[in-house]
Amino acid sequence: MVFFLAAGLRVYRQWKLPLHFRWELYPVKHEVGKKADYGGSYMEELNWWEKEKKNSLYNELKFMIPEILFLRGVWQENRQLWKVSFPFHFGLYMLLATLVLLFVGAVAMIFGAPITAGGSTLRALIYYLTILTGFVGLTMGTVGGIGLIYRRVFDPALKNYSSFADYFNLAFLFLFFVAGLLAWLFHDHAFDGARAYIYSLLTFGGQPEGYTSSRSFLGKGTIMIASLVMAYIPMTHMSHMFMKYFMYHFVRWEDKPNLKGSRIEATILKNLGFKPTWAAGHIGADGEKTWADIATSGPKGSK
Amino acid sequence: MKETLMKPSAISKPSQRLGHIQANELSPLPPPYEDFNNLTLSELKDEKIANIEASLDDTIAIGIPKPQNKEEEKKHLRAFLSGLQKLFEKKNNWGFLQPLLLSMEHCAKCQTCSDACPVFEMSGRQEIYRPTFRSEVLRRIYKKYIKPGGKITSKLTGDIDLNWTAVARLAELAYRCTLCRRCASVCPIGVDNALIAHEIRKLFSQEMGIAPKEIHEKGTLQHLKVGSTTGMNPIAVKDSMDFIQEEMEEITGYKLEIPWDKEEADILLLHNAGEVLAWPENVGAFAILFQAAGISWTLSSEELGYDVVNYGLWYDDVQLARVALKHAEIAKKLKVKKIIIGECGHAHKALTVIADRVLTGDLNIPRESGFVILDEIVSRGNLKFDPSRNNFPVTLHDPCNVVRAMGIVEPQRRILRKIAPKFREMTPHGVDNYCCGGGSGFAIMSGFNFAEWRTLVSSRKKFLQILDAFKSEPQDTPKYVCAPCSNCKGSIRDILAFYHAKERSRIYYGGLVELIVNAMADMKKPMIKFDQETF
Repeated sequence: MVFFLAAGLRVYRQWKLPLHFRWELYPVKHEVGKKADYGGSYMEELNWWEKEKKNSLYNELKFMIPEILFLRGVWQENRQLWKVSFPFHFGLYMLLATLVLLFVGAVAMIFGAPITAGGSTLRALIYYLTILTGFVGLTMGTVGGIGLIYRRVFDPALKNYSSFADYFNLAFLFLFFVAGLLAWLFHDHAFDGARAYIYSLLTFGGQPEGYTSSRSFLGKGTIMIASLVMAYIPMTHMSHMFMKYFMYHFVRWEDKPNLKGSRIEATILKNLGFKPTWAAGHIGADGEKTWADIATSGPKGSK
Repeated sequence: MKETLMKPSAISKPSQRLGHIQANELSPLPPPYEDFNNLTLSELKDEKIANIEASLDDTIAIGIPKPQNKEEEKKHLRAFLSGLQKLFEKKNNWGFLQPLLLSMEHCAKCQTCSDACPVFEMSGRQEIYRPTFRSEVLRRIYKKYIKPGGKITSKLTGDIDLNWTAVARLAELAYRCTLCRRCASVCPIGVDNALIAHEIRKLFSQEMGIAPKEIHEKGTLQHLKVGSTTGMNPIAVKDSMDFIQEEMEEITGYKLEIPWDKEEADILLLHNAGEVLAWPENVGAFAILFQAAGISWTLSSEELGYDVVNYGLWYDDVQLARVALKHAEIAKKLKVKKIIIGECGHAHKALTVIADRVLTGDLNIPRESGFVILDEIVSRGNLKFDPSRNNFPVTLHDPCNVVRAMGIVEPQRRILRKIAPKFREMTPHGVDNYCCGGGSGFAIMSGFNFAEWRTLVSSRKKFLQILDAFKSEPQDTPKYVCAPCSNCKGSIRDILAFYHAKERSRIYYGGLVELIVNAMADMKKPMIKFDQETF
């Protein structure tokens, strides 16, 4: 709940920010054809404003999918970091997938379809996939977590810019991965306990039929840490997991031209009505004049 | 692994210099330039910097006067914090608020950006030039002194002390980044440290009136007052153009008519006025080509109408908007169909992309890169070209503002592939290019020993790239660096002269349109001459 509130607040703040100056950076991956590869833009075309601007979702996905799943940018630009960053991030993705599978499983159980190895093909698939994604996620996350902490401690360039909060963030996530891995290893090999927990959440405290095992200390600890981690992420720079959308779609690839009579033009006119208070003499702001007033008047001393 | 690096918090600790440029730490130059490997910057003379803030490194970009007393220091500090606050307010910084917030809040400090920065790399990895250094300084000051509860949370998120030393150094440090945005292009998250440098410059200019005089006083202020950053008024520019017209006729044998203030022409061509003074052949070549291609075009003799530069792009949004509006008003008055921007990289970005969110209604006149129409002229086949006239090695410098900031990459290449049979790409090129070292105003900044810093540090990577592009060519073959941007051309001119590249490797430089005109089949005489040697 806290995660959704905090993440929602962050996203809402971004949506509410005023339209800014264009600051795109090429290659812009929704460009059409080869332009997306070599970094070309619609501005390479003669009289581009007379043509319909086309975007390619295919080109965008071709870039975004490997970028999100496999951290292609880190692979290309910082291979050493990728070796630890990829397992860490992929581990998180796997655990997100696990969470979805646990949720699906719990819903199935509510409808009287227990998730077991011997159930129907679909239920068996959910059962085994949960184990696979959970195990891979926890293992990769643990390995990546150790690696990221190691790099931050021993790489002078990373260490030099790291604060207590940076170490804490990593340690917190690492603790979650390790706790989860130990809980899986010693108590919950098939994630039945985790599924039962989701079931109890969805049924306000109910217990799945036939599930008798009590929760272990490690299991309870993992659930508690996982809840805290989820609540904590949106409050830190780790929110780049989802804020990257804004970095790319609202800045780096934001190339929409301002055409006469467009919604963009209307928004610009609104922005030009802001009343700045910059104090330098040449600006000539007094808190009353608008941006438009100031921009259309010369600096002090000019004609 | 045991290396100890300078911490961002060191910026507020008084010392004579925070960073030093040492010859043995600079990236080495290959033969026959090894003798320059022992060179470092001329020392700043004590008497010249007695009253100037000079404690960042071995050069000075701004030259901020030292405060006279503690009261004045406090006043400056208050102004700095006030400006910092304004950077994060909609009414004051709507133009960059969202990109700034995203970059301030999401850096993972992974340092992937560091290796992409030519200034950091060429300086021998001077910590103060690391892209994240200045960003982290600003981030920590912002978190501690502007955000609620910052004094407490800064113990957890990274502490820093704010004093005049830190503020003065930060102002200078904002002018050790060329704003090429190479760092941003490799950031896995999308953080833009160049943008943060830009915002620091803005804070100092818009709140405190602090900026290098070449870009503010002699730059945008003079531009708006006189009509051009060169100081040329309309009469002077017309005189110069008359001279260029005569010169062109003499050099090429081509009878030329330059149209002025022609209403309802299809195109208003805007040049960087620096071309008129320093590279008149570029302006002349455009005129020849447009005339030969039968294009309906005009120049403007109105103040600002003959100088497309917009230095506001580098440091001050208000100045940027004022200049861009003037350019648009002139085009509107002339009733042209579109504005074409000549070979000036930053003007491309300022007028085409950035001003796109300022110009509305009748002022939103279509703007287009000059490269696009040059490509059209060369490709459409009306004019005959003889590529053998350009039968010398040519390499292309990509202005960052044209490629990385606008995505105009192929038109200039299509032209060169048609008219320059010995065209060689630099490595890397296109959107991955390296800055000429003169970006963001550096090309025109030369106070104290700043021009030396540029040549030795920020332009060094470009020089190495140029040498690499021509490494397989015989030493005595003349070679041409095509730099289709005035500021880039200025930087490249300076590095070639400083390292005696003409004498040692026969490397010359020039624009793109000169190469096109040189290849025109019906041109009686060549335009490009290497030491009077004709090709």
